[in-house]
Amino acid sequence: MRNHPPLVELRAVSKTYGQGHAEVHALHDVSLVADTGEMVAVMGPSGSGKSTLLTIAGTLEDPTSGQVLIGGQSLASMPRSAKARLRRQTIGYVFQDFNLLPGLTAAENVSLPLELDGMSARKARVAALRALDGLGLENRAGHFPDQLSGGERQRVAIARATVGQRKLVLADEPSGALDSVNGEAVMRLLHSACKNNAMTAIVVTHDAQLASWADRIIFIRDGRITDQTIPAVGPESLLTVEPEK
Amino acid sequence: MTFATLENPTVRRPANGGVPARRAVVRWAVRLARREWKQQLLIFALITAAVTATFIASAVATTTPAKPVGVLGTAQDAATLTGTGPQISAQVTALRSNYGQVDVIVNQSMSVPGSVTTFDLRAQDPHGPFGQPLLSLVSGKYPTTASQVAVTSGVASEFNLRVGGRWTLNGVTRTVTGIVQAPQSLLEKFALVIPGQVAHPDQATALFNASGADIVTIRTLIYTAAHKPVPPDDVRVTDVFDTASLANDNAINPQSISLAAAILGMLLIALVGVGGFSVLAQRRLRAIGMLAAQGATERHIRLVVRANGVVTGVAGAGAGFLLGFIGWLAYRPVAQSSAHHVIGTFQLPWTVIIASMALAVLATYFAASRPAKAISRVPVIAALAGRPTPPKKRGRLVIPIGIVFLVISFLLLGLAGTASGTPDSTGPNPLRELALGIILLAVAVIMLAPTTLGVVAWLGKYAPISARLALRDLSRYRQRSGPALAAIALATLIAVLTCVESAGRLSNPLDYGGPNLASNQLIVYSPDNPYIGSGGGSAPSTVTPAQAQAVAGSIARQLGATSAITLYTASVGLSHAAGGRSWSGPVYVATPQLLSAFGIRQSQIDAAADVLTMRPGLSTMSLMQLQNTIKNAGGGSSPCITGGCIANPPIQEVSQLPAGTSAPNTVVTEHGLQALRVQSSVTVGGWFIQAPSGLTAAQIRGAQQAAADAGLSVESRNSIPSLATIVNDATVFGIVLALAILGMSVGLVRSEAARDLRTLTATGGSGTTRRILVATTAGALGFAGALIGMAGGYLAAAGFARTNQLDGLSSLDSIPVANLLLILIGMPLIAAAVSWLLALREPPSISRQPLE
Amino acid sequence: MSVRHAMLALLSEGSSYGLHLREEFEARTGDVWPLNVGQVYTTLQRLERDGLVASEGDEDGPGAQKMFRITQDGARELDTWLRTPPDLSSPPRDELVMKVLIALRVPGASVSEVIQAHRRYLVELMQQWTRIKEDADPADLSLGLAVDAELFRLDAVVRWLDAADARIKRVTADAAPADTPAAATTPAPPHTSVIESLPRMPLTTNRKVRTRR
Repeated sequence: MRNHPPLVELRAVSKTYGQGHAEVHALHDVSLVADTGEMVAVMGPSGSGKSTLLTIAGTLEDPTSGQVLIGGQSLASMPRSAKARLRRQTIGYVFQDFNLLPGLTAAENVSLPLELDGMSARKARVAALRALDGLGLENRAGHFPDQLSGGERQRVAIARATVGQRKLVLADEPSGALDSVNGEAVMRLLHSACKNNAMTAIVVTHDAQLASWADRIIFIRDGRITDQTIPAVGPESLLTVEPEK
Repeated sequence: MTFATLENPTVRRPANGGVPARRAVVRWAVRLARREWKQQLLIFALITAAVTATFIASAVATTTPAKPVGVLGTAQDAATLTGTGPQISAQVTALRSNYGQVDVIVNQSMSVPGSVTTFDLRAQDPHGPFGQPLLSLVSGKYPTTASQVAVTSGVASEFNLRVGGRWTLNGVTRTVTGIVQAPQSLLEKFALVIPGQVAHPDQATALFNASGADIVTIRTLIYTAAHKPVPPDDVRVTDVFDTASLANDNAINPQSISLAAAILGMLLIALVGVGGFSVLAQRRLRAIGMLAAQGATERHIRLVVRANGVVTGVAGAGAGFLLGFIGWLAYRPVAQSSAHHVIGTFQLPWTVIIASMALAVLATYFAASRPAKAISRVPVIAALAGRPTPPKKRGRLVIPIGIVFLVISFLLLGLAGTASGTPDSTGPNPLRELALGIILLAVAVIMLAPTTLGVVAWLGKYAPISARLALRDLSRYRQRSGPALAAIALATLIAVLTCVESAGRLSNPLDYGGPNLASNQLIVYSPDNPYIGSGGGSAPSTVTPAQAQAVAGSIARQLGATSAITLYTASVGLSHAAGGRSWSGPVYVATPQLLSAFGIRQSQIDAAADVLTMRPGLSTMSLMQLQNTIKNAGGGSSPCITGGCIANPPIQEVSQLPAGTSAPNTVVTEHGLQALRVQSSVTVGGWFIQAPSGLTAAQIRGAQQAAADAGLSVESRNSIPSLATIVNDATVFGIVLALAILGMSVGLVRSEAARDLRTLTATGGSGTTRRILVATTAGALGFAGALIGMAGGYLAAAGFARTNQLDGLSSLDSIPVANLLLILIGMPLIAAAVSWLLALREPPSISRQPLE
Repeated sequence: MSVRHAMLALLSEGSSYGLHLREEFEARTGDVWPLNVGQVYTTLQRLERDGLVASEGDEDGPGAQKMFRITQDGARELDTWLRTPPDLSSPPRDELVMKVLIALRVPGASVSEVIQAHRRYLVELMQQWTRIKEDADPADLSLGLAVDAELFRLDAVVRWLDAADARIKRVTADAAPADTPAAATTPAPPHTSVIESLPRMPLTTNRKVRTRR
């Protein structure tokens, strides 16, 4: 179908923490492929290894065995600096409860990865303001994180994760600390980023409502992928059912 | 779906982000430092205090003594020329032909009619090439013609002169054009005339630049020009100086001392800082993890912590500079009046000040470096979760390297001991080995101190849970507690070393140190006293012994003393015929008047005793010799010549004799004089005056004036501290420093275990638990630090004394037990008690700070 | 939900006489769901006719003497039924609860797989609703609220499944070290207690179902 490698590919990834009696198998032989423009949700109970999956896909941790490929490049032989560069240029993170660096304004937080990547402060600021603008945060650019509401902070985090030429957004319970309306807004933003900016998103959550925003939901349990949803045939069937009720 | 390439070929950016990335990271660090300034207050305050102290101390210390410029002006070399007029001009000509420009200051000593006071008639060009700093105008103008003169305010008041008035001196009438002063020596009295107006000079100072020429060459030139025999090289004649010789005169000058103090202070601050920055970095762990997740490299993360350190250092240095300068401005008038020379507002030891500021920044940089390295190695996941790093095992090499350093330092100190053992220190410069040895010792202590924390934890195995927890934490979080312990150990080491060394050195019965006199005592010296003290400096005497006796009597009356005790000298001397230190101090004659003045009854005295002394230990000293100094002109340790010397004279210790080094602390008895047959050599050496209470500066000045007028000199108490003072001061210094370090560190050490404390509280721990925790931490740190410091101090002292010929290992026998116990037991107890009292409430900053 | 599948589930534990099956059924349902003998035999005869159970013993004697056992087809039918999602676009979700509870009783049936099958179905359903919400005009409040209601309802079921999954996992984990490995897979005493608490809840459900049908 395509010649390109998928944007993210996990091949038989396992992750073990500790040794001997304290050995914990966080991931077991996990394989996963996510394509450009796709939003994948990883669902599972706590301790199922879903966060580990995310950190391994995001170069923050190395798998004990198996391979991770980002854009066809294997992370195994990649030096740490190259991984850091990958995080600056390709991967954006959104975490659950804390995301922004205190002491930097919203705009500075967004421009941080660009500046870390060597873009001049002024250019980075322009890009950051544009990103904030796109998320309806234009009048919050000069605010410090402690002056923003929870939903705003998370939206700033998304702006930062998507600013620049990012290809992959990894989100760990991105709306876990938010109410459902704000949580929905966050997921909506992530989904539209995938569709409109041709990005790939992997969202880890235990919340089915949030997961249902994804194109594909992967179920993980005890470090193994147990199941995944079959892409919906289309919502029309439900709508035709609806009036009958 | 199309696949977009990861690398954007159109944008080429530097690897690792280059300058913009670093700038962004530093900006964040600076912003953090500013927002969370409270957490850095401790280190900031330390740096500020250290820089301020260095600023003021070095400014006062270096400007109080007249600087070399007081002699040299702006020249590199100076020569004091003596002789007749023609000889002086021949010397000047010789200098001029060899070294070019010469600025000559010619003096003729004049006396004030009807008084013994003298002043100089001075010919100097106020605009001369080198001498300008030696002269300044208070009012009026400088003389420009032969009929004009400018005088100092002293001369003006002596002769009742005004600017514009006329003054006849030696038959020449001149107009007084101005009041002048010698800025480097405000006490000098002189009348300034234009060059060539001094008819009979008796002394001249030539200022010139003989770049490269050594002192001996210049001296040879001068003596040859004056047709005088050139003194041999090894005779110390201080008639030619250059900047180097003035600087060399004391390698331990105020500048180097304040610099050394600053270095030591910054070292301690850096050690405390390591703990501080560790905690700071730990608190920001999650934010730092966030930064790493954004693609910051390890180097960027290190930069954050280091930049934070440098910001603190720069801020502290700046604040310290400002405070120091303000303090200096306030203190300058006082310093100027007490130093008797003009001190410019900006006449400051800039090298020391700038060096101390640079040191402050360096100290914080290095203090932040270790935590920076540690934090950059924390896995991103752990950092994001705010999980503290598990305690890291120290490198295996730390202990062996520390021990090797210890041994090397021991050997180096031994070398220093050997070098300074030779009586006149002509051998290798012991200072280098000494400094290197002490530095290595400090490094070894810093390396080894944290290791002992494991021992501490082991010792606390069976302690109650809260104490055990405190000790375990000390051992586990060595990154924080280790530097604090090292700092305490270092502070104790300094105190112990001072105590031990001064106890060993100053209590030596042969050459003991201490104040010369008690504060209520004064000695008026007759001009021919061989033991003339430091307060001396007499003009040729014109008074008869009877007149001198009358002057001393009147001084005694003025001071409220009943009488002046006459001190007689005889041609006797004590010496020690073995290696080590030799005898020092005066030996007066034990006259009945002297003995009764100190309340010594004749019956107390052993009839066979040749010598009476208050020096403890002298009576049991072997190989002592009492010599007839006429027969044994050389003195020293040669075998006793019959008749001219008594080997092992009977010495009796009499505690009532005064203790001052210049006071008659050791006297020769009638029996001794008879044995040596030197009764006829007894002459009056001076008068010992004991006032009922301590003498004021005004009283001393009055006595000096009265004595000087009669051609006598006076010695009063100098500022040399006594052994007790030194040891007590060192003890207090060590304890206060250690306590200060403890106070700063305990909070830092405990904050790591705040989580445990919460758990402890949740499981039923009470306020007492918290008190025990903190008190145990403080007490254990204090005790361990004191123990290590003491061991290090004794090791250093032993290393030095082992090879030292003057003070052998036996000099360490006099242990200042009380002081050492105070440091070892008292200090930790104080620390524990204060912690117990103050550990009421957990500071709110300890609880984990939520990150937005 | 039918007596049919209840019989199959009981037989899956082992062969039994018809009379015994009735007693067992009534005991399990706490005598609140009475079953007459005729009903039991009619059901069993139909099952036998469909080849889901087999009988042996006296051909002519009373049915009570017949020994019934589940056939392969019967086991498959039971398994299929367990995994067949109930119609959750309309309320009677309690059928799902029943299924999970019964799955606990069925030897060899992986409860977590059963749960996952339902969960996947529910989540897929939710995905479709979410698509509707995403594509909807934000101003269309009634649609938004209706979709939300549906999502929350489904979400509640998913959460119950999650909770059930976690609870079962914990109980089996607790039981495992004490018992033999076999005991962990076959219903253990704790499970019995779970099933014994069954009566009231399923019965109300069943009444509802019956009233609806």
